[in-house]
Amino acid sequence: MRPENYQAVNHPPSHEFELNFGPNHPGIEGNFALKVKLQGDIVVEARTDAGYLHRGFEKLMEDRLWIQNIALVPRICVPDPVPMEVCYSLAVEDLANIEVPERAQWIRVLQLELSRIAAHLFFFGGHAATTGMYTPMYWGVADRDLLLDLFEELTGGRIYSIYNLPGGVRQDVPEGFLQRVSDTLDYIDGRLKDYDNLFFTNQIFVKRARGVGTINQQQALDWSVTGPNLRACGLEFDVRRDDPYLIYPQLDFDIPTEQAGDALARTLVRRLEMVESIRIIRQVIKALPDIKGPLRTPIPNPLAWRVPAGESYARVESSKGEVAYYVVSNGGEKPYRVHIRGPSAMHAVQVLEKLAVGSRLEDIAQTIFSLDACPPEVDR
Amino acid sequence: MKKSDLDKVKIKQIPAQKRTNPFANVFDEFVGFCRSRSMFMLHYCTGCGAIELPPAMTSRFDMERLGIQPMVSPRQADILLITGYVSIKTLKRVILTYEQMAAPKYVIGICSCTVNGGMYWQSYATAKKLDEYFPVDLYIAGCMPRPEAVIEGLQQLMQKIKANEANSWKQYYKNYDYFLGNQQHLFGNNWQTPTDVIGEAETYQLAGPNTLGEHTKILQSVQTPLKPLEMKL
Repeated sequence: MRPENYQAVNHPPSHEFELNFGPNHPGIEGNFALKVKLQGDIVVEARTDAGYLHRGFEKLMEDRLWIQNIALVPRICVPDPVPMEVCYSLAVEDLANIEVPERAQWIRVLQLELSRIAAHLFFFGGHAATTGMYTPMYWGVADRDLLLDLFEELTGGRIYSIYNLPGGVRQDVPEGFLQRVSDTLDYIDGRLKDYDNLFFTNQIFVKRARGVGTINQQQALDWSVTGPNLRACGLEFDVRRDDPYLIYPQLDFDIPTEQAGDALARTLVRRLEMVESIRIIRQVIKALPDIKGPLRTPIPNPLAWRVPAGESYARVESSKGEVAYYVVSNGGEKPYRVHIRGPSAMHAVQVLEKLAVGSRLEDIAQTIFSLDACPPEVDR
Repeated sequence: MKKSDLDKVKIKQIPAQKRTNPFANVFDEFVGFCRSRSMFMLHYCTGCGAIELPPAMTSRFDMERLGIQPMVSPRQADILLITGYVSIKTLKRVILTYEQMAAPKYVIGICSCTVNGGMYWQSYATAKKLDEYFPVDLYIAGCMPRPEAVIEGLQQLMQKIKANEANSWKQYYKNYDYFLGNQQHLFGNNWQTPTDVIGEAETYQLAGPNTLGEHTKILQSVQTPLKPLEMKL
């Protein structure tokens, strides 16, 4: 937002200089960096400098058993780890021709949607902090903690649950758990109005974010933008509906879209998605007690499990976009090759580099946070 | 360059030094108390353990009641939190950051990855043991440690600072040759930082028999003297 008496200053070309933006910088998300070339405060050129979080996942996974990789995959995307587990499990189940029991599928959807709300609350807190509003950050992180408590009760871990296995889930939901989920959702549902007043319809934020980092529909398709960022451009695509997995076809939910494609639209789409996720979880809570059956299809001895040779591709909709696993097996005890298609690698590298050009330096933080890129997933 | 041998150096915990003047001891205790009650934590998220810091900092667990606050600049920070695995590219920046911090400085290694490599013990891209590259005061194990554990660890650090026992930053000057050797092993013989650690060790009167050695000789042979910045207008 510029003051009303703002006048552009024409700098001579000699004032072009380079600036390292990150990795130790409050305006950057996690351990990530940009090298920007500036003219005054206008960005002329931006290059991402990734690799600070590289661990070589795809190589590490070739060296571990099929079942051991379940412990490794959630580390790829730290704020939203559940879709990673589920997607890897789906790919391995497809390879090994395992049918997942229906009750396990419902529990997986419950966990996926809880994780989506938690990730969106974290996003909302982080994005608010870049505009200098620290109250929403405190609120978002504190309310996310209530969801983490539910995860802890269900799976034993706050962040990394390691709860999904090829074949199903580890344990049944504890007694009274669904009631507690329902209570927490009621609380978060009631809080959404406060969030609107504080952040989403707050003029400080709306004026600051409108028109920043705009993507049009053609660009979004060319740059392989997925997830909420794609839906913020007006394109209604969601893997949950267009390439359904688990029991999503049985559920009733809408796919919220916005038209503008800027930072504001991307934030509002996530705000609307929280409502839809709450709607989905309420349906799961209603249906889950009536669905009986086993939780897991037994797999052979996991320490010597040979998955039949072949290749499979599975994709799920995470809170950041489309997550996909391409798994190749040569009939051995370990995967032959695993390729991970993460949404943030596209959003934080090729999209951000193009969106940053022509914007002002302080808008870079707005752009990267509104794209909700996750640096550990960029580097993998 | 071969890796430095820890046994040759024998890094020991430096105990709290008592001075002969009783008033000086009282003054030291007072200084330790003050330092332990106002700590600025450098806000640098090196790995996945950083995800448990926002809950620890914000309203639920509230680190600020202990006097701990995030700080963006390393020159004004007291604590360097290494939150999780450190890839080799990050480790260079971490060492640059560590050397820029003003003494006394404290290092906490959070997560199992800083202790022995953790999940990524066979990864080609990560540094396994953090205290081979610079001294660490305290480890908080777990993958990842809960916010309660982070706060418990910070309280233990406060106790150590209060008793003047958190002296690991002195180790960096006393055994600079060992740490530099491991850094050169990883980054190559051309590795150098803008900070003059040997000069600082002499100024602080902390240079010992292990400060200089074969590795510092290599550093001095490749080091280019720092030039003052040229301003162009």
